[in-house]
Amino acid sequence: MAAAQVSVSNLHLVINNKSILTDMSFSIEQGRFLGLIGPNGAGKSSLLRCLYRFQEPTSGAIKIDGKNIAEFNRQDYARKVAAVLQEIPSQFNLGVFDVVAMGLTPHKSLFASVSLRDKQAIQEALSKVGLTHKQKQSYESLSGGEKQRVMIARAIVQSPSLLLMDEPTSHLDVKYQIEIMALAKSLGITVVASFHDLNLAAAICDSILVVDKGKLVAHGSPQNVVSSSMLAQVFGVNADVTLQQCAKREHVIPHIRYQYQQPAIIRGIPRSQP
Amino acid sequence: MRFAASSVLLLACLFSFVCSLSIGAVQVDFYDVWLALWSYDNTQLAQKIVIELRLPRAILAFLAGAGLATAGLILQTVTRNPLADPYLFGISSGASFGVVLLLTLFGIQSGLAMSGAALLGSICAMSLLLLIAYHKGTAQIENMLLAGVALSFLFNAFTSLLLYWSDPQAVSAIIFWSLGSFSRADWVWMWLPSIVVISGLVIVICFRRHLNALLLGDESAVTLGVNVHRLRLGMLLVSSLLTAVLVAACGGVGFVGLMIPHIVRFFISQARVLGMIVTALSGGLLMLWVDVVARIIIENQELPIGVITAAIGSVFFLSLLMFRKRTASI
Repeated sequence: MAAAQVSVSNLHLVINNKSILTDMSFSIEQGRFLGLIGPNGAGKSSLLRCLYRFQEPTSGAIKIDGKNIAEFNRQDYARKVAAVLQEIPSQFNLGVFDVVAMGLTPHKSLFASVSLRDKQAIQEALSKVGLTHKQKQSYESLSGGEKQRVMIARAIVQSPSLLLMDEPTSHLDVKYQIEIMALAKSLGITVVASFHDLNLAAAICDSILVVDKGKLVAHGSPQNVVSSSMLAQVFGVNADVTLQQCAKREHVIPHIRYQYQQPAIIRGIPRSQP
Repeated sequence: MRFAASSVLLLACLFSFVCSLSIGAVQVDFYDVWLALWSYDNTQLAQKIVIELRLPRAILAFLAGAGLATAGLILQTVTRNPLADPYLFGISSGASFGVVLLLTLFGIQSGLAMSGAALLGSICAMSLLLLIAYHKGTAQIENMLLAGVALSFLFNAFTSLLLYWSDPQAVSAIIFWSLGSFSRADWVWMWLPSIVVISGLVIVICFRRHLNALLLGDESAVTLGVNVHRLRLGMLLVSSLLTAVLVAACGGVGFVGLMIPHIVRFFISQARVLGMIVTALSGGLLMLWVDVVARIIIENQELPIGVITAAIGSVFFLSLLMFRKRTASI
């Protein structure tokens, strides 16, 4: 799995005359972990949709390793870019092994069957996410964190050079949130993931992209991007940001502490006197 | 283990096939069935019954079961709705409409003409649906399902209107037709359902990965390199064609398409080739026995197939649900 280099230039997305993304330009170096943060409806998912070609940009270009993504055919593109989304299959009694095996789809012709080598790849992926012992169970019987890990195993089998993740850890326990992001990071490929938990994003990502109302607000390393003023401006919260020395890594990571009081705007309104 | 179970299923199919040739108003023993199959002598009455009457029936029954189960599997997969069934998209209503039109306007009651009219009617319904789906461009599954249900009601309305004006004899003919029967099985037309069912099954097996990717969701399927829109339209066409041809050949046999994929799914993941083959075989197996029951349960009279499939199917399915609930709650 070679890591991919991604560049996005002047990306616009308009759906039903509504501007979703406006003039976005950024690039990601090979093997880096990029986090997307922004309030609900800011355009994080839309940006990812453009990247995994579910939506075609209205204008602008996305290039992977120097090649415009519109020029890839479907299968080639799926071999290069995998995505872990929030969609969860249900009611069809799929086995864990079978869901992971779906990662083979872009690598197989219509008549090809699963070879011994494919089976090995599936087993390796399962052991990487620590679910070898559950491969014969049905997918539905797994917990939320295990389900997402299966999806990551599926993406590993797809052997992409770019992994896209759309809030893969929302509504998961803290342990799994950290585990899944660390797992994605350990793959050694380029990753773009949107985050709900800003502290997690600050701790995990090499660089962070802040999106607000379809526009790129900030892009840079966590300690440069995550600040009290940005949090107030983009997310509308009061918070203190302290820099903390990370034990294992040399650099510092910002830590956010939210102030759980009435927001400034509400505080400003005078109370009615009895 | 699964492989062994599937071998047992295959053997059961073969055994049931021979049984369905042997059992009937005239009991033909296994030896005569064997002779008829391998060294047919058309002066022997027993052998003639087997080859001329029961064999085409059994083949049609098996094809109908396998085909409808496959069509159901396809539709449930592409709509990601385990309650989708081949008749949901108005195909059988279209077929009924065709038959009623033929009966009331022209008064023709020959089996072949009825099959032809049914085929035309269902193709008409199918094209309408595909047109709606295609017109929508990025058609949502929900829209497609709703459009299918609406079409089904539309055709039913026309059918009821025509029936209201027609004579009681035509009404009873229609009712018998719409409940399904294999009595019109005929060597002359056997090639059509055979080709359609076999090629349908082959297509499903070839595209199994793409179909299963759809189960993850449209967006995930796109990231796996699947052309979701085209696949869905193509698969809809395949399942409609299967249903249209089978409805034309044996009337509206409900329940198989809905229940067989569901029942098989309890035991085996449909993501595997084996799962798909088992679905088709189980459908065929069920139909063979339903046909046998339909022929022998009342002497000198044939029960409509649809009544038996619905009765057996629902009882079996209910018991399965209760059993599952008990194991799940432990």
